[in-house]
Amino acid sequence: MTVGSQVKSCYSSIKSVEAGLSLLASKTQDVETQNKFNEAQKIVTTVKEELKQQVTQLAKQEPQYK
Amino acid sequence: MPEWFVIVLKSVILLIVLFFMTKWLGKKQISQLNIFEYISGIVLGGIVAIHTIEPERNIFYGIIAMFIWFIVPFAVEFIALKSKSFRNFTQGKSTVLIQDGKIMEENLKKEGYSTDDLLEKLRDNDIFLASDVEFAVLEPSGSLSVLPKKENQPLTAKDLGLKLAPEKEPQTVVMDGKVLLEPLANLSLNTNWLETELDKLNVSIENVFLAQADNNGQLTIDLYDDKLTVPQPTEAKLLLATLKKCQADLELFALETNNIQSKELYERNSRKLQHATELVQPYLK
Repeated sequence: MTVGSQVKSCYSSIKSVEAGLSLLASKTQDVETQNKFNEAQKIVTTVKEELKQQVTQLAKQEPQYK
Repeated sequence: MPEWFVIVLKSVILLIVLFFMTKWLGKKQISQLNIFEYISGIVLGGIVAIHTIEPERNIFYGIIAMFIWFIVPFAVEFIALKSKSFRNFTQGKSTVLIQDGKIMEENLKKEGYSTDDLLEKLRDNDIFLASDVEFAVLEPSGSLSVLPKKENQPLTAKDLGLKLAPEKEPQTVVMDGKVLLEPLANLSLNTNWLETELDKLNVSIENVFLAQADNNGQLTIDLYDDKLTVPQPTEAKLLLATLKKCQADLELFALETNNIQSKELYERNSRKLQHATELVQPYLK
């Protein structure tokens, strides 16, 4: 695997985590738990955004593997 | 009227009266009854017994006697509920047997407790060394309540400073293959959700003997067919594992790259994920 595809796979894992967190947040009955999940989800979203730029950048650097 | 019929009739009437009287007298367990309640219960039973097997007795006398034996304990209990001093008089007070780790010999004597009795009661509470006890009190019911010294108390999450997720009572959503709508509504879920979850586990609702959902919406089930194995809910654990994996991946990228800017980006995000993991870890178990 090239660096680009590795980062890409990590990026998609992050996306799945984000979705999982928002799913759990909506399923739980407890307000405190919900807040914690939402907080974690926000952090994961910022990570996702930064990683997304990195993925595009890497794709530019490795056009042959695109 | 034939005599046997009188007996049947009286039995039924007295049975009904007795049922309601015991119901109104409250929900106390037999072991929690004090002597007074215990005796009045026996007398009530005795009156019923005498009046059912002797047809020539007047049933109204029986009912009057039962009423008296019912109303007095009822009144006593009612007044005791309102007044503390009356309660002390009727139900007795508790006696401190061990205070600040010291045995109160005077109180032992007053209650007619021998040292052996005290040791036996302590052993009942899993305490074999009297010096392990900080405080012990003899309740009016005759049981001994013991507070062990702090170092002998069981370790709790609070002692360790552990943060635990709050846990609410689980709801039973399927019983004997039938969906219970009210518990589902308590979790603000519906039958669609249940069907989806069961689909995920690949079982049909007819085969479900019991299904319970916790307040995080995790479903655990038991099937009629015990040969089938049911997967445990893994959603939360999987999520935690993925989160940790992503964090480790980012750390690895940071080590591998030579580009300073990228390195910084990976490290920063790895730290963020670490923080997020710590936030949700107690809840994903």
